Amino acid sequence: MSAAIPTAGITPFAPRIRARRGLSVGFMVIALLAITASMLMLGALIVEILVDGAAQVFTDGSSTVAEVRGETLIDLPTPENMNWLAWAMPVAILLPFLGLRVVRSLIADIPALAERAIGFATTLPVALFVHILYVRFESAYYIEYAKAIGVDGASGNIVQLFGEASGFQFVRLIVAGLILPLGIIAAGWFWSSRLRRPSLLLPGIAIAAWVVYLFLDPFFLSSYPSRLPVQAGIFSAITGTLYMMVITAAVAFPLGVGAAIYLEEYARRNWFSRMIQVNISNLAGVPSIIYGLLGLQVFVRVLEFERSVLAGACTMALLVMPIIIVSAQEALRTVPPSMREAAYAVGATRWQVVRFHVLPYAFGGMLTGNILAMSRAIGETAPLIAIGALTFIAFLADSPTDDFTVMPIQVFNWVTRPQSGFHEIAASGIIILMLVLLVMNAAAIIMRQRTRTDW
Amino acid sequence: MARNFFTMMRSSAPAATAAPAASEQRSERAAPSPPSPPPANMKEAAAAGVGVHLDPNLEAVRHDFTEEIEMALQLREVSAFYGSFQAIDKMTMPIPQNRVTALIGPSGCGKSTLLRCFNRMNDLIPGARIEGEIMFEGRNLIDPNVDAVEVRRRIGMVFQKPNPFPKSIYENVAFGARINGYSGDMDRLVEDSLRRAALWDEVKDELDKSGLALSGGQQQRLCIARAIAVQPEIILMDEPASALDPVATLKIEDLMRELAEHYTIVVVTHNMQQAGRVSDYTAFLLAGEERVGRLVEFGPTQEIFTNPLDQRTEDYITGRYG
Ligand SMILES: Nc1ncnc2c1ncn2[C@@H]1O[C@H](COP(=O)(O)OP(=O)(O)OP(=O)(O)O)[C@@H](O)[C@H]1O
Ligand SMILES: [Mg+2]
Repeated sequence: MSAAIPTAGITPFAPRIRARRGLSVGFMVIALLAITASMLMLGALIVEILVDGAAQVFTDGSSTVAEVRGETLIDLPTPENMNWLAWAMPVAILLPFLGLRVVRSLIADIPALAERAIGFATTLPVALFVHILYVRFESAYYIEYAKAIGVDGASGNIVQLFGEASGFQFVRLIVAGLILPLGIIAAGWFWSSRLRRPSLLLPGIAIAAWVVYLFLDPFFLSSYPSRLPVQAGIFSAITGTLYMMVITAAVAFPLGVGAAIYLEEYARRNWFSRMIQVNISNLAGVPSIIYGLLGLQVFVRVLEFERSVLAGACTMALLVMPIIIVSAQEALRTVPPSMREAAYAVGATRWQVVRFHVLPYAFGGMLTGNILAMSRAIGETAPLIAIGALTFIAFLADSPTDDFTVMPIQVFNWVTRPQSGFHEIAASGIIILMLVLLVMNAAAIIMRQRTRTDW
Repeated sequence: MARNFFTMMRSSAPAATAAPAASEQRSERAAPSPPSPPPANMKEAAAAGVGVHLDPNLEAVRHDFTEEIEMALQLREVSAFYGSFQAIDKMTMPIPQNRVTALIGPSGCGKSTLLRCFNRMNDLIPGARIEGEIMFEGRNLIDPNVDAVEVRRRIGMVFQKPNPFPKSIYENVAFGARINGYSGDMDRLVEDSLRRAALWDEVKDELDKSGLALSGGQQQRLCIARAIAVQPEIILMDEPASALDPVATLKIEDLMRELAEHYTIVVVTHNMQQAGRVSDYTAFLLAGEERVGRLVEFGPTQEIFTNPLDQRTEDYITGRYG
């Protein structure tokens, strides 16, 4: 009864993939240059951090910054008390993935290589931004130094500093202040030209970053809280926020996506799944302070996480879970039923349909939802106050069980102080918080554009 | 006359009012064909040269074809439901092996529903339910104990709207084989399948291109290649050419004729010329007033088109009805 599959009459197999022709050489060269440049940049950055150390970079003949620093009141962070390892770890984890992509595209075929090279080159902005922060951090020393030797450089205005800078430092500052931001803009332009609808969004963000970079007092970004408004900074709040967000996403994303997959792809439409669905929608509307009280009891007290990053992140994860679930469900629903049918029709099991088709096609939308949920979490203050996050943190958290603070709490604290100086830096803090939110939302929009499939 | 036949007549008001006399006439013409006892098998019957009536209650199904042929599927009283709504009612007919069978009928008469019963696709619709028997290699594939995934592997499907995966052409074809544990030469299988779907020459240099980047006609042939790559025994096609231009349609039709050498093909079509050109057998389905689809007539396409037993078939084919 079964029909034999005759294979006779079909000519032997020819090579599977032949490279597409007509590739613009210039395009390739630019891509390769971009890769090389970003690699060099990253390498230089790492070498600088590992070998030199910031304090040694700015030396001027007789006296070092470190010596000058002894005469000042301000206790600047030094590489010794900054836990670089904590920051190098995510990079060390991410780099092999990026490397793998490039290597894979190198062996696959050339057009894909060019495409991915551009994609990789767009990680350049990230590297550059890190570099800029780093140079800014260094220039903080330089400003101190300038102040100590009597030059009016305390405002952080680069131009004023140039007069006193040696040739080498001048070049560095030009590179950091001009070429790198322009590089960001160029890279951003490149990336956006790869979008379906080219947009000025990314270059716009780069320009905004540059402007902030030029005008923001570097002390503010790189200093810890202080009882004097001029010396107070938001560094521990920024890092605390980032740290908490990473853990929140790591907890909430897998759980939320798993729940969404269960509800959309597996659960039968009965009273039980309807009840879960209704409850998820309700949870999205519960006041955040209630999550804070829940977190206080469950994570801080019962599970004994104390007032740590982990407790805060778990509380936040609960808070944003409904948002992540609902947006992931929506992403799953955008995958047309015809895709599922097509996969079922070639004999796929339910899990294979989800694993190889539904999930990959919906993943971009899920990530978008995740970013939006994170930007909600970044602004939340009440639950963290409830679990007792501190406002005066003069160190960087280097394990999830450390005390922490986050940007909105820091801002809240400053706003409640009587001195008007604190009110000003509260405003600065809010601007930075807004910027972070803007960048995250922009990232969500870009991701949505990039991952959209026209069925 | 058989009870079923009259039920069908009554359920179909337009036919009954439009041409009652003609219907009578047709019925009489069908009547003389004697309800002989069902022979042990079709070959025997065909060799003896007698008309074969597997089910004497269903005059609509003609078995008097002389061709010596086996059946890929044998339907017995197949009914399908969406919740409480009955979409098709007690259809009994064979699907001949290595032939093209066309399902024709007006919109909403249950053609797609019937087709989706053949590979248990309706399992995926909440509330959908099938009754009756569809015998496939000695087993009733409607039986819940029969693994639907296995059924779908052996009975492939091509959909009305081309639906390639948003992946490379190569991946589109290889996916089914891979998940079914195919361990042979994948490149070769992809090439074979694309050749058999008459697409190889057009895409052989760009197998890494997205399936969505192809034209509609090419996409549909890619979907056919994807179905073939799993090496099914039966291929179901639901209006495979309805979204295509005449040239692409002809290509798909040629393809169906070629594929019929190795596969059993069941195709739903609204295009009478297409059914005439491409199919060996035709089943005409019709839904009555209560929208329940029933089989009106089944037989060799030649017979159905030139010499239908039922007036409604003739009306539909000549475009006067439905
Ligand atoms: N998923 C569903 N849920 C409920 N009813 C359905 C569903 N799919 C089809 N039906 C109903 O079943 C009947 C038969 O539908 P079916 O799609 O099989 O018709 P068809 O003959 O393929 O029509 P067409 O030629 O327009 O494609 C119709 O009355 C339709 O409304
Ligand atoms: Mg249909």
